[in-house]
Amino acid sequence: MEALVGTEALAVEGGSVTETEQDRVRRAQAADTRAFEALYREHVGKVYGLCLRMTGNPSEAEDCAQEAFIQAWSKLDKFRGDSSFGTWMHKVAVNVVLGRMRKSRREQDRIRAVGDISPTPESIGDSGGMQDLEQAMNELPTGARHVFVLYAVYGYSHDETGEMLGIAAGTSKAQLHRAKRLLAQQLEPASGVT
Amino acid sequence: MNDRDREQFDDELTAKARELAGDVEPERDLWPGIHAAIHESMQGPAATASVFGASFQRYLAQAAAVILLVGGSSGLTYLAISGDRDNVSPVAAGIELPLDAVSASFGSQYTLGPDFQDARRNVEGRLETELERLSPEARAEVEANIETIRTAIAEINKALAEEPDNVLLQQLLLSSYQEELAVMRKVNGITNTVMLRDDI
Repeated sequence: MEALVGTEALAVEGGSVTETEQDRVRRAQAADTRAFEALYREHVGKVYGLCLRMTGNPSEAEDCAQEAFIQAWSKLDKFRGDSSFGTWMHKVAVNVVLGRMRKSRREQDRIRAVGDISPTPESIGDSGGMQDLEQAMNELPTGARHVFVLYAVYGYSHDETGEMLGIAAGTSKAQLHRAKRLLAQQLEPASGVT
Repeated sequence: MNDRDREQFDDELTAKARELAGDVEPERDLWPGIHAAIHESMQGPAATASVFGASFQRYLAQAAAVILLVGGSSGLTYLAISGDRDNVSPVAAGIELPLDAVSASFGSQYTLGPDFQDARRNVEGRLETELERLSPEARAEVEANIETIRTAIAEINKALAEEPDNVLLQQLLLSSYQEELAVMRKVNGITNTVMLRDDI
């Protein structure tokens, strides 16, 4: 029901009109915060999920997702509908994550701490294969992790991934290859990928 | 792991990654924080606009008042002096007043440029002498009006002390100085005209 927030304005006598995402975006662009809240409810999971996998830190991911929506609100007039609102939100979120990482020394510390990935007992071979993969992804170096998340998890092309991350498509391919090799090292001892 | 195994592993890995849930709900609702920030941003520009509007209106009111004062003073000065001239003689009515343009600009701290200062000192030095040639009523009128302009200049300077970058006030100050100079020159010019009549 939360997703219905902001649609009351379209209620008509004897029923209600189904409001499209485009309608909500248009109303949000006209400074309708209820429409924007509806957009937030629809997309927060996708945005937070991306932030979480890019940062590897739930608290940092919450901050990033929150900032992404705040920035999106202020940039709504720039959204022309060339892509879906969700894709546009992902681009905003990626920029937020990258921006925060640049500012934060924590990520540098994290990279140093990760160093060469070596398998850890708790990250391999548990019953939930997905958890293995999530854990292994989380331990990838930043560049490889970002590419893997955008390309493999969210299904963006190398061109799109490169554009979002500000790298060439070829670099995206190379990072994906690296990510797969590192994930193989992590996950190989278990039976298959899972 | 041979190439075939690696290829198979990659395919499985990609398939597995695609199966991961794209949506992950955060533990807490982020909307209250977002809403607060949005609310603030919506109020921010409006508040700024409102402050700017109030400030602008204040300056506009000041500008209007000063323009009225300066314009009124100049007009009254002209009438007072013209009245004196009319009483004396129509002979020199056609003489053009030498109102040379003097370039004026601000130096640092709203100090007028040296050219303007020289011209002002020069005219001011002659003003007292020239005023003595006018009738007591006309002289009182002119003095009162010059004083009005100078009061306006002082007020603008005060406002500029608070808002040193306000271009409107800067322009107003400059035009007030120019107006003062023009009034003083008018007095000099017209009394010279009166002198011409006396010579006759």
